[in-house]
Amino acid sequence: MREHDDLLERGIALLREPVVIDGGVNTRVMDAVARLPLPARPSRLHQAGTWLIHPRPIRVRPVVVLAAAAALAVAAVGLRDRAEPPAAPTVTAAARAGPAPVRFILVAPTATAVSLVGDFNDWIAAATPMEGDVAEGLWVVTVPLPPGRYRYAFLVDGATWVPDPNAPRTIDDDFGRPNSVLTIGGS
Amino acid sequence: MVDMSGVGDAELVRRVLSGDPAAFAGLVTRYRDRLGRYAVRMLGNQADAEDALQETFVRAYRSLGRCTDADRFGAWVFGILVNRCRTLGAQRARRERLQVADDAALLRAASHDDPVGRQALRAAITAALGQLAPLLREAFLLRFVEELSYEEMADVTGASVSALKMRVLRARTEMQRLLGDVTDA
Repeated sequence: MREHDDLLERGIALLREPVVIDGGVNTRVMDAVARLPLPARPSRLHQAGTWLIHPRPIRVRPVVVLAAAAALAVAAVGLRDRAEPPAAPTVTAAARAGPAPVRFILVAPTATAVSLVGDFNDWIAAATPMEGDVAEGLWVVTVPLPPGRYRYAFLVDGATWVPDPNAPRTIDDDFGRPNSVLTIGGS
Repeated sequence: MVDMSGVGDAELVRRVLSGDPAAFAGLVTRYRDRLGRYAVRMLGNQADAEDALQETFVRAYRSLGRCTDADRFGAWVFGILVNRCRTLGAQRARRERLQVADDAALLRAASHDDPVGRQALRAAITAALGQLAPLLREAFLLRFVEELSYEEMADVTGASVSALKMRVLRARTEMQRLLGDVTDA
């Protein structure tokens, strides 16, 4: 085994050697960039998205507390009674005023990793990982979203695209994959 | 060509967002080879890797306003590349399966040709890598070749640290077995 370890270490050293990439990549990228509009500056939506990453003290009205408690209760029901499917994404009453915390839940007992991907995070798999309870097979994440219509899906184990089984679907996807639709604030 | 090698990532990002798209070239030049190495190792060939690289940079440009910490542009763009490699890998899975047969032949050839030589080892480890499941290959490369910490890996893959540790362990064990098959042949 030690001999195999040594062989593997020598092989890894070879894999670390630089790879020569054709300089034409620069030209092709910059040609494509020249045809695109300037990238948008960070939006209020994006700043809302950083709320969970950079928590700050907030003052809440009792109605918001009640709404948040209701959202937690939905999640708790999902945890306690697996015979009941988890609810569609939960939106609190705060949705009327601005970004509201939306809880996404997926039951995936065999998954080792699940991410939430959607037009609100530019479909980037690494942007919104879900917290998993491996024993329960339950994956949860809460994302603040302002009123609007969003498309989203779950990415299971980095490879399997899964629409939310408890939300309306659309086939309007750039890659032909089914997505789910979430509308907040009746827009 | 303007030399932007001394300009930091955050400044280049700021220049692009302020209306100077040419500043993006500095970021492309800075990260092209590092990202390219991962893409080549992950996808197994230069042409696919360059496609992934090009798509990654274009997507990064379009989403640049969403790069929350411009000083960490490198880690952010790495996350986009990892995602592009997964998508391209899945799209080309059929071709990849055919490639496995070639890789197996390469492994055998390497063992008979020059069991301890550098070229033989290069061929063997490349072939072994090609036989790993994509998520294991990804974890192996990020940990041992790109030398990311588990926390950095979690950032770019979206997977939990515990899941990544499991994948790395499985990948390493599998790589040892595959290389062992060569030396013991």
